[in-house]
Formats: sequence, C-alpha cells, structure tokens
Amino acid sequence: MVCSSNQNRSMESHYLLKKQGFDVSSYGTGTHVKLPGPSLREPNVYEFGTPYKHMFDDLRRKDPDLYKRNGILPMLKRNLSVKLAPQRWQDNAADGYFDIVFTFEEKVFDMVLEDLHNRDQVLLKSVLVINLEVKDNHEEAAVGARLALDLCEQIEAVESWEDSIDDIMISFENKHRRKLMYSISFY
Amino acid sequence: MNVADSRDQALSLLTAALNHADLAVKLSSLKQAKDILSSLDSSSAAVLFPYVADLQRSPHTLVRKFLLEIIEDIGLRAIEHSAVLVPVLVAFLRDVDSDVVKQSIVTGTHFFCCVLEEMTVQFQQHGKVDQWVQELWMWMVGFKEDVFSIALQPGPIGIKLLALKFLETYVLLFTPDNVYHEKFEATRGSRRTFNISWLSGGHPMLDPVALTSDANRTLCVLLDMLQSASSLPGAVTITIVNCLAAIARKRPLHYGTVLSALLDFNPNFELARECHKASIHYSLRTAFLGFLRCTYPAIVESRERLLRALRAMNAGDAADQVIRQVEKMIKNSERERASREIQSVRDDQASSQAYVLGDVSKKRSMPQDNEELTNSFEMASKRIRSGPNSHSTPPTHINDSGQDFSSVNGASHNFPLSDDNLTPVEQMIAMIGALLAEGERGAESLEILISKIHPDLLADIVITNMRHLPKSPPLSKFGTLPTTQQAVNVNSRAQVVPPPAPTNSLHSPVSTPQLPVTSAATTGSSISDTSTVNNFAADSKRDPRRDPRRLDPRRPAVSVGMSSTPVLEDTGTAMSEFDGSISNKPLSVPVVEDPSVRSMPNIQSNDKIIEGPSITGVEQPTAEGDVVGGQEDIAPIVEINSSSSHSVSPYMIDVDSAELKADAEVKHETDEPLFPESDQEFPGSITESSLDETGRDLPVLPIYVELTEEQKRSVRKSAVQQIAESYLHLYWSDCNETRMALLARLVGQIDADDDIIVMLGKQIVVDYRQQKGHEIVLQVLYHLYSLTVTISVDNSSYSAVLYEKFLLEVSKSLLDTLPASDKSFSRLLGEVPFLPDSALKLLDDLCSSDVFDVTGKEIRDAERVTQGLGVVWSLILGRPNNRQACLGIALKCAVHSQDDIRGKAIRLVANKLYQLNYISGEIEQFATNMLLSAVDQRAAGAEFMQAGSIDERVETEVGSGDASTSGSQLPEPRDSGVDSNNTESASNSASVVSFPEAQRLISLFFALCTKKPSLLQLLFDIYGRAPKIVKQAFHRHIPIVIRALGQSYSQLLRIISDPPQGSENLLTLVLQILTQETTPPPDLVATVKHLYETKLKDATILIPMLSSLSKNEVLPIFPRLVDLPLEKFQLALAHILQGSAHTGPALTPAEVLVAIHDIVPEKGGPPLKKITDACSACFEQRTVFTQQVLAKALNQLVDQVPLPLLFMRTVIQAIDAFPTLVDFVMEILSKLVSKQIWRMPKLWVGFLKCVVQTQPHSFPVLLQLPPPQLESTLNKYGTLRSSLASYASQPNIKGSPPRSTLAILGLANDSHMQPQQQQQQQPHMSNLHSSDTSSVRGATPT
Repeated sequence: MVCSSNQNRSMESHYLLKKQGFDVSSYGTGTHVKLPGPSLREPNVYEFGTPYKHMFDDLRRKDPDLYKRNGILPMLKRNLSVKLAPQRWQDNAADGYFDIVFTFEEKVFDMVLEDLHNRDQVLLKSVLVINLEVKDNHEEAAVGARLALDLCEQIEAVESWEDSIDDIMISFENKHRRKLMYSISFY
Repeated sequence: MNVADSRDQALSLLTAALNHADLAVKLSSLKQAKDILSSLDSSSAAVLFPYVADLQRSPHTLVRKFLLEIIEDIGLRAIEHSAVLVPVLVAFLRDVDSDVVKQSIVTGTHFFCCVLEEMTVQFQQHGKVDQWVQELWMWMVGFKEDVFSIALQPGPIGIKLLALKFLETYVLLFTPDNVYHEKFEATRGSRRTFNISWLSGGHPMLDPVALTSDANRTLCVLLDMLQSASSLPGAVTITIVNCLAAIARKRPLHYGTVLSALLDFNPNFELARECHKASIHYSLRTAFLGFLRCTYPAIVESRERLLRALRAMNAGDAADQVIRQVEKMIKNSERERASREIQSVRDDQASSQAYVLGDVSKKRSMPQDNEELTNSFEMASKRIRSGPNSHSTPPTHINDSGQDFSSVNGASHNFPLSDDNLTPVEQMIAMIGALLAEGERGAESLEILISKIHPDLLADIVITNMRHLPKSPPLSKFGTLPTTQQAVNVNSRAQVVPPPAPTNSLHSPVSTPQLPVTSAATTGSSISDTSTVNNFAADSKRDPRRDPRRLDPRRPAVSVGMSSTPVLEDTGTAMSEFDGSISNKPLSVPVVEDPSVRSMPNIQSNDKIIEGPSITGVEQPTAEGDVVGGQEDIAPIVEINSSSSHSVSPYMIDVDSAELKADAEVKHETDEPLFPESDQEFPGSITESSLDETGRDLPVLPIYVELTEEQKRSVRKSAVQQIAESYLHLYWSDCNETRMALLARLVGQIDADDDIIVMLGKQIVVDYRQQKGHEIVLQVLYHLYSLTVTISVDNSSYSAVLYEKFLLEVSKSLLDTLPASDKSFSRLLGEVPFLPDSALKLLDDLCSSDVFDVTGKEIRDAERVTQGLGVVWSLILGRPNNRQACLGIALKCAVHSQDDIRGKAIRLVANKLYQLNYISGEIEQFATNMLLSAVDQRAAGAEFMQAGSIDERVETEVGSGDASTSGSQLPEPRDSGVDSNNTESASNSASVVSFPEAQRLISLFFALCTKKPSLLQLLFDIYGRAPKIVKQAFHRHIPIVIRALGQSYSQLLRIISDPPQGSENLLTLVLQILTQETTPPPDLVATVKHLYETKLKDATILIPMLSSLSKNEVLPIFPRLVDLPLEKFQLALAHILQGSAHTGPALTPAEVLVAIHDIVPEKGGPPLKKITDACSACFEQRTVFTQQVLAKALNQLVDQVPLPLLFMRTVIQAIDAFPTLVDFVMEILSKLVSKQIWRMPKLWVGFLKCVVQTQPHSFPVLLQLPPPQLESTLNKYGTLRSSLASYASQPNIKGSPPRSTLAILGLANDSHMQPQQQQQQQPHMSNLHSSDTSSVRGATPT
C-alpha cells in the first residue's frame, strides 16, 4: 500500500488489510511526511521514520483542538497501532519483494514504477502494481481501503493473477465505477 | 562432523526427500540437506549433485520447486560442478506446474549470466575456455531457446512474463553498453553484470558480433510481439512495453528503434480478448516518462517527440515536471562531460596519430586529386547533413548518438567520447563494415541495423562512401550508341558475369590489412604502434579461418535476406545515390529484357569498390577518423557480394531499365550536381590512370555512352519520373525514412521546368496525413535547399526554382485537400528550410484576399482565415527571417475591410504579436499610421491595400521609426509621404471617411491601447481634430478599451489630469465609462477634481464623480452643475442622490432643494431660468422628492434670511404636486406673514398667488395679515373678499381677528348677522372645502 506520506490512504488500507489477515506493508513516496498544519502554507513536515507516536505528541502539544477536529490525531493514533513509523517506498529494498503494490495516486504510481525500473531486477519476481485513485481525505481513504481489500481478495482468489488480471480489472471498474490502472514490474 | 559424515547425512536426507511418503518430511529433509550442502566445500558437495538432480523425478511440486532453489543456491557457488544440475533447469521448463517453470526460468537466468561471465573471464585470463564451461554454455543456449519459445507460444501468462523478462535480459546482456568505457578487468563475481562490450571476439562461442546480432533478433522478436499485441493479454502487452522501455533506457543503441515502435504502437486495436486498455496506455506513458528522465543524448534529442506523444495522452503536466527534474541533472552531467571530453580528445588524438603513421608508411599510393575529391565529398555530405539536423538539435547530440552506434563493433572503448574526431557517419560505416566482416550472421544484424538507421544518416553514409568510387567512369572508351553498347555487352558478358568469385578473392587480401584496425580497436588496451603491428600479425593469422565463412555463406544470405528493402539500402551504402536509384528502378520498370545487360552496372560497381579499398585507409592524413577510414573499407567489400548476388536474382527484371540505367549513370557521372568538382574532372586521362591503378586483373569495362544535352535531359526526366511514380505507388504502404531520404535526393535531379514536381507534390498530398507526407516533403525540400545553398550560383538557380515550385505545389494541394483545422500546412511552412516570396504570397492570399467559388460568387471561409493567421503567427515566432513579411500580412488583415477578418487579425496582433518585443514597435507604428490616416481624412488605408506590398511599407515605417526619436513625432515623415501618394485618391474619393472605414482604420489601434495604455494619449491628442464620423467611431471603441484596462489606468489618469485641447467629450465619455456601475476610486476622483479646479472649468467632467464626493465638496460646485444643460444637470442630480455605497448620497434630496434655492442668480452664477429648471427637474422626480422631502426642505428654507428668491414658487409647486401638504403650507404662510412677507416684493407676489390658490385654507393666514396688506390683497383679488368675509364672520373666528381687519371685510358692525351668516356658511364651507381641494388639485404650476 503506497501513498504519498504513508499516513492516510496507505495506512487506512494497511490497517484494514492487516485486520483481514493479509501480509501487508505500507509506504510513502514523498520526500517528506507532510501533515496538514494550521494553514495550507504551513504543513507539518516530518522525516520518514519519525514514529507516529512522536508526531502524535507533537501535534497534540501544538494545537490539540485543531488536530482533533481535522482528524489528524485520530489518524495518527490509528497509525501508531499499525506500525511504528512511516516508511519511504524508495528505501524499502531491504523489505523483500511484494506480490502486489497498491498505489492511491497517479503520481505515486509513476514513482513506484520508476523506482522499480531503476532497481537491479535480479530476483525476477514479477510484481503487480495497481493504482486506485483515492482522494486524500479520511472518508475517501476509508472507501479506498475497502476497495483495495476487495480487489486483493479477488486477486487472491484466482490461481495466477497474470492470467486473469485484465478480467479482474475490467469487472472491478464496472462494478465500482472507479478507474484502475495496473502495470507489471519485476524485483 | 567431518566431511564424509556430512555427505552421508546429506545423502540420506536427499533419499528421504525423494522417497518418503510424507510431503512435510520430504521438505524438511530437503531443507536440512540444503544446509549441509551449503556448508560443504564445493567439490565435496558436488559429489552429491547427481542425487540432487535425481529429485527432479519427484511428483511433488513443492519438492521440485525447492530443488530449483537448492540448485540456484549451491549450483552457482560450485558452478564448475553443476553440469549435472543445469539439465534439470532445462527439463523443468516443460514442467506441468507453472510455479516450477517460473522458478526454473529465474534460476536459469542466473545461471545464464554466471556461465557467461565465467566463460568471459576464463577467456580473457587464459585465452581459452574450459571444456566444462563450454558444455554448460551449450546447455544454456538450449535453455535460452526453450525460454524464447515459451515467450512466443501460448501458455500460462505468469510464465510468459518471466520469459519476456528473460528476453529483455538477453538483449541487455548482448547489446553493448557504452557506459563502461574502460576495459572490463576480468574478475569473477564482480558486482557488474556481464555485458557484451567486455568481449573482444576471438572465441567462437564468444563472438560479439554473433551475439549482438542475436540480441538484435531478440529485440525484433519483442517488437514483433508488440505489433501483434491485439491478440495478447494485457499483462503481456504491458510487460513487453516495459521490457522494451527498459532496453531502450539501458541501451541507447536501441533507443531509436524502440521509441518509434512504441510511438507507432496503437493500443486502440480491436481486441481479440478483453484487456485493460487504460493500463496499456499507461504503460506507454510510463515508458515515455521514463525516457524523459534519461539523459542519453539520443533520448534528449527525441524529447520533442516524447513530449508530443505525452501531451497527446494528456500527460503533458507530468512530462513537464519530469523535464524540469531532468534538466538540472543534465546540466550537472554536461559540466562533468565537458571536462571528461577534453581529456579523452587528447587521448584520442594521440591514438589516431599513431594509426596514421602506421598506415601511411605502409601504403601511400593515393593520388592527390582523389584525396581532394574525398574531402569535397565529405564536405558536401557534411553540409547537407548540417541542414536538416541543425534545424532542431545541437550538433553535439548528433555526434553523441553516433558514438552510441559505434560501440556495436566493440570499438567504442578505444575512442570514448571522441566526438570531435568521428562523425556518426564514419562510425556507422565502421560498424557496418564490422558486421559485414562477420558473414552470414553479420548480414542479418546488418539488415536490422540498416533498417533502423536514421535516414539522413543513411543517406550521408551513402554519400560518404562515394569516396570509394573512381572519379570518372571507366567506360568512356566505349562506343557511344546505345545499340552498340548492348551488343558489346552481350559479348562481353561472358567474361564479365562470372567474376564474383575472383572479385571476392581479390578482396580478401585487400581487406586483411584493414581488419587489424578493427580488432586493434577492440582489443587494444594501450594504443601504440607496436600493439598495432602485433595485431596485424594476429589478424592475418586469423584471417584464413574467417575468410571462407565470410565468403561462402554470405552470398545466399544476402540474396535471400535482402530481397526488397535492403537491396536498395545496401547498394546505396556501397555506391552512391545513383546506385540507390538503380536499385529502385527494377521495382518500377515492368518489362524484362536481357539479364546480361542488367548486370553491367553491377559489375561496374564492383570495379569501383575494388578500387575503393585500395585507396581508403591510407588516404586519411587528417587526424579525423583514420581508424574509421580503415574500417570503412570493409563495408564496400561485401557490397560486391550483395550487388553481384542481386545481379542474379531480383535485378533481372528489366529491359529498358538497363538502357535507362546505363544512361542514367552516364548522366550522373557527367553532371553530378552534388559534387561539382567531378564535373571538370571527367577527361579520359584520369580514367585511364585510375584504370591502370586498379584494373590490373579486372574484367572488361562497361560502356560509356555519350549523349547530347537534350537526350540527357529527357532521359533524366523520364527516369526520375518513373522512379518517383512507382516509388510513391509501391511504397506508400510502408514508406520508411530511408526511402524518403533517397526520394529527396532523386527530386534534386529533376529539372526545374519539369512538371513532375507538380505531380509529385499532388501525389504526396493525397495521403498526406496517414502517410508520412510531411516527412517526405520536408526531406525533399531540405535536400533541394541544401543544393541551393551548397552549390555555386549558376547551378543553384534551378534547384531554387524547383524548391519553390515544389513547396508551392504541396502547400496549395494541402490547402485544397485538407480541412482548415488541419495543422499540416502550418507545420509545413514552419519547418521548411526557407520560405520564398511566393509562399508568403500564398499565405497572404489565404488570409486576406477574397475567394471566389466556381460561379464567381465571393465566398469567404472564416476557418481559412483563421488558419492563415495561425500560420502567420507561428511563422513570426519561428522564422525570424520571414518575420517582416508575415507581420505585414497580419497587419494588412488587421485593417481589412471585412469585419470578421479584421477581428481575427486584430486579436492575433494585439493579443499575441504585440507581446513580442521585437515587433511591437512596428505594430504600434502601423496602427498609429492607420489611426492618423483616418483622423486626417486620408484614405491611406485603401491606397495601401491597393499598393499591396506591405513589406515595403513596414520597412519604411521601421526606417522612419528609427530615424525619429520621439514617439509623437513618428508619424510626421510618413504622413507627408502618404499625403503625396494620396492626392489622387483623395480627390476622387469622398473627402469624408465613412463610418465603417473609420472603424477599419482605428480598431487596431484601439486594440493595442488595451495592451499599452500609454497609447491612449495619442487618441486624446487627435480627438479634437477628428471629423465627426471618426469621433463616433472613437466613441464606439473607447468603452471596450476602458473596460479592458480595468483598474490599471494610471496612464489614463495622467491623461485625465491633463487632457489635450478638444478632447473634453472623449474625456467625459471615458469618465462615464470608468464610473459606470462602480464607485470611482479616490485617485480618479482626486485627479478629476484637480483637473476641474485647475484647467477645465467644465463641470460636466465632475458629474460621474459626484456620487463619491462629500457634501462639502458638492455644495461649492452645485451652482455650476445647475448651470449645465438640463439633461446634464439631471444626470448630475442622479449621481449626487445616488452617492456611493460607503458614504451614502452626497446630498439628501432636501439638501439638494435647499442648495438650489441657495443659489443667488446675480452673482455670476447661473441665470434664474436655470435655477427654476433645476427646481422643476427635482419636482419631476416625485418618487425622490416626496412630500416629506419637500416639507423638510421648505421648513429649512423658510427660516433662512433672506428668504430664497424662488421660495414662494417652490411652495406653490409643492402644494400643486402634493395637495395634502396644504396644512403644512399654511404654517409656512403664517410664518411668512410673521416675517412680514409683504416687505419682499418678489416673494409677496408669490405669496398672494399661493394664498389665492389655497383658499379657503389660506383664510386664516389672510386674516393674520395686517389690515393694509389685507386691504391691498383683497383689492387685487376681489373674489376673495366675499368668501373671506363670510369665513371671518363665523362666530368662532370672528372674535380673533383684530377689528381693523374685520372692518376691511365689512364685518365690524354686523355682529347680529353673524349667526345667520354662520349658518349659511356651514354648508357653504363644506362645499368650499370640496371644491377647494379640487381646484388646488387642478391648478397648474406657475
């Protein structure tokens, strides 16, 4: 599960899929972790690897009301129950390979593909990269996570995704009226 | 535990894994066995390998899969013992379980690389390869074949994807990667992946050329699969695209091929099966974006194409972003590269000098003029090339791309980045040579390579190779008549045809000494004379082995493999464009004649080529590309084969063509327009000398036929015509770029007066868009242009004519056939090398002249005008040379008499062109002149339209603009000029410009004003002297300008603060517009006030501002407002009462009334009449000046001392307007009485009038009057007396008035009558009441 900051969309899906028993990780492709601040121009910026707990405390100290109201604190609380800290996709080579990578934004999709193409593809393990466009807000993230779960279950159900990915994609699009995009890369 | 124990244990575990019934036990045993095997050293473990391999029989998928993992794990570490394991991999490729197959591919891929590396290392270190490695390699080759077939055949997609990945890996391995320039230092297990560039050849299994050509074939397999994507599942298509993209990114050599394949790839095919198209689209997008991220010169070069493609798929933003990212990277890397280049150039010079020494000392037999010729060829080709290329890309890139190509033959490490010394052409030639030297396999790769070469490059290669031709035809000794020629040919054929074999054998010795250069290049780590010599020796040793392979299999290969396309290209490579045309010709000419004759030119070409090698390689005294010179020689050698084999098969078609060809050849040699030097050097003496030199054991020479000029021309014409026609017909379907380049050169042969060109142009346009019409046309035009430029004056004239003709023809046809929305025309004019005047004229016509349909009725296609103007715009942007002319066209349209044309042109000029600082001055000047001509009543515009030559005009304008320095004076010189021109037309045309005419002339200027407010000054300046019609036109336009200016009117403010004489009306209009619907901003108000106070006493200008003025500001100027004409005052009144949103009205209505009354007519203010009019104007607005307002105003007025003059008049008007005010008025009247109103004679009259009008309500007031006044009143208005008397006699009243008053009424004595009278009075009273109201109501205002 990859989004930009590894906070909202990817974590929502991570949380949900983990609950459903999937072996799942989540990442962000941005250069920093960005969370909304008091205004559009003053986001809270953290390095990847900064524990969610730290962010939680930091924001609670800064303006508990604001961040409770805009859902950031609850989100961080959820996140810290899932894993320690946001991770950066580009630095995840050590985490081994994945069968499927979900991205939630076209830009992220591009970056993941570009990153995969630039890696030394020695394992020759094919990886399915799917982009599901999800707006970066709490409600949409929840919807997106459910859709991702649905898709994962469908892919899990078939014997080899390579053979049926086109059908899965098309039927999913028809069913949910959401645009999907996939590509294939190798580890 | 010792080794033996471990081994035994492992053995038992393996047996268990094979035989135990329980899968879990099997797997755990395997795991343990693997651990033990890993811990053992390789040789002890190897003993167990057969047992491991035995596990492949296991029926359990998991076991088999695990087995593969073991093989990968331990096999790779003990590669020398893994001969037993590798077959398992191959076997598992056919396994029933796809997981096993997949794992097998993965493991096999790793083995493949490992074995390859091992083999290379061994060969480099020991000069030989161990048997076991060779064996392994054979297995690996088998593995490769199997995987390839998996990729191609239907099957589970998961496996297929991996197989595709293997194909990609394979291509990458065996395509030279010129990233590593330095020699690979053979070390096992180095982190670097193997690459073909490590290989230097010499080992049969490690033959770089063979492997490279294999890789090229593999790439073609991938490309073919992409072509057939419609039948593939989406996942496969996407993987293919990704693999191709990866190849292109990692191996720039293939970039061009892959890019064009991807660009051509259209995923919108009708699908045989469902697949997710959006994803396929997206994979293309990802690929292109990935390319954009790369900084290889070849990729950077194609950036425009990529951007276009990406924009087409709506990824322009993403692309721009990537570009921005990459640009930074490029900058950095370029800086590095620059420093590296300096270093490498230095190295390279040293090396090439070394070669020069060696070569020159060996054979120095080059005739001097031959060398000259070569140089001139080179120069010509360079010049030609620089034409189209420099058009878009910086030359360094061209060189770089050439650099990429050159690495194919492995020579790249020797001259890394030697951009200065090797042109791409030379590198390509070198590479072709190397490939040809490899025989059959080389021929195949050559085919691939040539089909991918950029056509310009290919054409240049052809021309560069012409240096190998003899300077003059060796046939001039022969008869002149075609008939005899044939006869002779038939005779001589017996000797001529057989020679292929001798010819070849002749070559091998010649070529041998050349080879070292290549191999030296590939192997040479240090470059010195000695190493070169060593390599010479080595090579000649190796040669015998190579020779047969090169000679024998090649001929069939060529004749089979190069049936149609390659024929033309190959021969072209060897010979010249003339040869290219020959090879075209057989395809076009239908009849077959005599094969023997046909073979003539081929033989001849053989001769030339034979001569070639002996010359080249030696003759490169310049530092430039000596190495390449050597390599080039190899290229022609094989050409003989191709041509000779052709002479047997596909060429034999034709009859006429033989003659034709011979003739064409003659022609070609005689007047070769490309190479003028050869013209004079035709004489036989040279021929003979070259014959002597080269023709030692050559066969009989072909015939040279002398033709007259006339014959030459007609032959030439018909030849070109046939070729061109058939060419277009035959090759439209898959017209490739090489053919275009050749066609272009062909067209260059056409005479100027031929109408072939017209035909050709039309033909091309027919399928312009679907086919590569644009590219073809450009090719042709560029070539013609290069001829025009490069050739001396007299020769160039005809190509210039040809150029113009062709361009015009194509342009016209484009306009005729394609819809106006089509961009082809614009693109054509934008990209052609040069625009002649006639093309501009065409454009001019398109934009502005009237179009007539067949019936002579005028039709105008607005779309066409838009198209024309669009072209004009793009030309102005893109072609500085034609800027003036195009600007002229645009400006001409901007004063066109038709509104729609003018509108469009003005939008273009004002919105787009005027922003360009290099032409804004001219535009401004032009607009100004037009404006002035309108104002000064000169029909200059019309005149100007007739004159037509807009360029001159614009130029003179520029001139005058330069000459005079101050802007306002600019028009002066022009004016006088126009004046003198215009005397005639002015005399017969009406002296007054019509309204549309005025609009025509001034609209452009107004449009410019919106862009540059300072121009408004001129408008104001000249407004005063403009005739009425023009002023109207001004009035029509100015609102648009002012509104467009919006808030940025500082310029306007300056004008407002100091308006020129005569511009008051305009100024007022402007102010009105400015304040319409908005509150005028403070600075405007201040400016206007200042103006009013200082300069312009006309209060009219203040009117629009009134709403924002405060009470204190309005009051002083109020009299002046009243003094204005009535309608202006009304307007002012409205403004005053309206006020601004913030401050409310400046004056309340009541205050207005008071203010009006405060005006004293005598003091130089407005006359009384104006004041009364103002008053009436107020009363007319009954909704504003309500009863309450009047009451309030009157209340204030009545207390004033002295009473305003008009007070009574207003009172009367008030009571007339609002009869219900009567009680209030009575109060006023009694107040007036108390103020002794009779002492103010003017008011007293009004008072009486009012009293009379308001009786009987006024009776109490009357009674308040002192007796003398009452007396005079009653005398004046006799009718009052009786009714007043009866009123006064009422008992309740009778007591109150003084006696004297009653006496006047004659009531003093008749007190007894009072009750009676009163009784009478009562009904009367009520009666009066009613009648009174009606009378008051009916009263007209006085």
